[in-house]
Amino acid sequence: MAKTPARLNSHALKRHETMVAYLFMLPALFFFVAFVIVPMVTGVVTSLFNYTMKNPVSPETFIGLKNYIDLFQDKTFLRAMLNTLILVVVTVPAVTLFSLWVSSAIYQMKEGVRSFFRCVFYLPVVTGTVAVVVVWRWMFDVYSGILNYALTSMGLIQKSIMWLGDKRFAIWCIILIMFTTYVGQPIVLYVAALGNVDQSLVEAAQVDGATDLQVFWKIKWPQVMPTTLYIVVITTINTFQCFSLIQLLTEGGPEGTTNTVMYYLYQNAFSLYKYGYANSMGVVLAIIIAILSAIQFKVMSKDVSY
Amino acid sequence: MKTIRKALALMLALCMVLALAACGSGDKPIESKAPESKAPDTTPSDQGGEPTAEVELLWWAPPTFIQDADDPAGTYEQKLVEEFNASHPGITVKVETIDFTTASDKITTAIESGTAADVLFDAPGRIIEYGKNGKLVDLGDMFTDEFKKDVGNDDLLTSCQGNGTYYMYPISASPFYMAINEKMWTESGAMEFVNLEGNRAWTTEDFEKAIEKVSASYNPGVLFCGGQGGDQGTRAFIANLYDGSVSDGKEYTFNSEAMLKGLTKAQEWIDKGWLGNGVQYNGGQSIELFVAGTTAWEFCWGTSAAGNNAATMEANGVKAISLPFPSADGKPVLEYLVNGFCVFDNGDAAKAEAAKTFIKWLCDNEENVTRTGAFPVLQSMGNLYPGDAEKELLVEFTKMYGPYYNTMDGFANMRAQWFDMLQKITGGGDVTELANAAVEASNAGMAG
Repeated sequence: MAKTPARLNSHALKRHETMVAYLFMLPALFFFVAFVIVPMVTGVVTSLFNYTMKNPVSPETFIGLKNYIDLFQDKTFLRAMLNTLILVVVTVPAVTLFSLWVSSAIYQMKEGVRSFFRCVFYLPVVTGTVAVVVVWRWMFDVYSGILNYALTSMGLIQKSIMWLGDKRFAIWCIILIMFTTYVGQPIVLYVAALGNVDQSLVEAAQVDGATDLQVFWKIKWPQVMPTTLYIVVITTINTFQCFSLIQLLTEGGPEGTTNTVMYYLYQNAFSLYKYGYANSMGVVLAIIIAILSAIQFKVMSKDVSY
Repeated sequence: MKTIRKALALMLALCMVLALAACGSGDKPIESKAPESKAPDTTPSDQGGEPTAEVELLWWAPPTFIQDADDPAGTYEQKLVEEFNASHPGITVKVETIDFTTASDKITTAIESGTAADVLFDAPGRIIEYGKNGKLVDLGDMFTDEFKKDVGNDDLLTSCQGNGTYYMYPISASPFYMAINEKMWTESGAMEFVNLEGNRAWTTEDFEKAIEKVSASYNPGVLFCGGQGGDQGTRAFIANLYDGSVSDGKEYTFNSEAMLKGLTKAQEWIDKGWLGNGVQYNGGQSIELFVAGTTAWEFCWGTSAAGNNAATMEANGVKAISLPFPSADGKPVLEYLVNGFCVFDNGDAAKAEAAKTFIKWLCDNEENVTRTGAFPVLQSMGNLYPGDAEKELLVEFTKMYGPYYNTMDGFANMRAQWFDMLQKITGGGDVTELANAAVEASNAGMAG
């Protein structure tokens, strides 16, 4: 059947639009492939080789899953994984709940006050990690740290504590710093999300006698769920990938209590030149992050209302 | 419409494959990524043997040379390059300054991606590691009998080798030692135990008496082990206490009786508060404590630490006295830094020859040696610091150089084991058990 001129024009237009769309995507796709997909695939492939500075990837150095088998027998790796999981389990809920609480408290304040709080909490995010670490290291210092000074002055401790050098406290110090640097962005997002909650629903509920808790739980919470999902996923990923704090503050010590998978991966790749082994850690970490993110999406998406 | 979509999708897929191919060209010769020589075949000229064809070299320069006042980092290096390029037609050197902190990561990444420079300044620890892994040019022909005779120190020559092959051409060397805060030690009455005569060698017994006194009034120096930075200081300190050694040249031996005695003594001193628990600090941070006047002595000291912190110490009223490490028999053995250059094997013989010409020109020059703030490796250069009392003392320290173990297999792994062990010992762990485990792991790591 012959096509009418109108249908032909419509098809030509669609074709043109599709072509333009693909062309627009092309540069981005090129960089995405070159800088994300290629390294990712290379990482997975080389994790199957005894790839070191001395041994390049070749059929002779192919060892199958040996790196993975060694990994799960490596006590240092298992300890690093445990430390990483502790960081995630503590940091993610703490950041999410605290930022929601702060945002709930400030989102209806005057613009100036709201901006002030957003600015205060966002400051550590825009401050360079090195600068943040220098300040925290000084605060935790055993000789001149303000924390020891304050606690000693208040009579809470008799003797200065070596916060970053004591295996009972070091990981909690890391968690505290992570908390302060991670909380800024979620607060900004929650303030925006809470500001977009349909006020007519809130007012209707209040007229019907709903308590503040009921209003929050039944109206606001479902409406900020997409933001919560985003915050939880992003904070989880960031925490799993925590590296610079560890490198600059504790180098994994004392006695491996702050060693994380990312830091151990770095040590293996850049100090011991065990690239294949390091890549196997990266793959395992990526799989764990992917599984956790999928679970988070699955569980939390049920309550998401767009 | 579907056909066109398919065609476009195919085009995209092809682009992706091309991108993959472009980025995954690991089999390409490495030299194509570094500055290229414009003509592959060269012949030695009659002017010092440099190639006559145009060769372009890239020199990665971490902070090596002392700059003139107010000159930013890299200024002196740039002047050197200009001077060399002018006097060596056919070779063009380009300099790129890098910092020591990120140097390791940058170099490792560059080696694996085939974009390493041609010439690099560094210490033997890393250079020899690159050499053993087949990434460097053999510099054996530069170590002539005449040159070796002029160096006249087998340990120093060994430090330039990996598995018997020369990979580093040395320019200068300087000892690592310790320093004490003159004011604190004088005020606490501990100076009576310090030998300020001759080479200032002193004993473990005197050191123990001194630190008991100093720590009663001031914060003791810390046995830092928060990381690998400056860890040679703690190894030299522990080894000297009872004349032990970190290795016997074949294996790591820091679980020997003498080393165990030293480690146990250090643990005892920490328990008593005579020595600071340094689990929170690495070498650099420990130096910060010393130059700020917070702690009374420092185990990670050397010419660069003294030079870099001179202004800070002056501002804080700290005057440092350089000392060798205390030893049981009063005959200390010091570790030392050897500065030198290596040439990356970028698969281009002409570039390798040009690079050798360049590093020889750099190293065999007295002014360049003094610009490193260290001492010449060539005896024929004599005393380059006449009238400088501190440098004359350090010349005495250079006579205390011990065997160089930084080029042994598994050195990087041993360092990780060392600081982890020290953390556990300072935390009160069983010395023998921990040292045995660390040595076992270090020796196992020698196999790579």
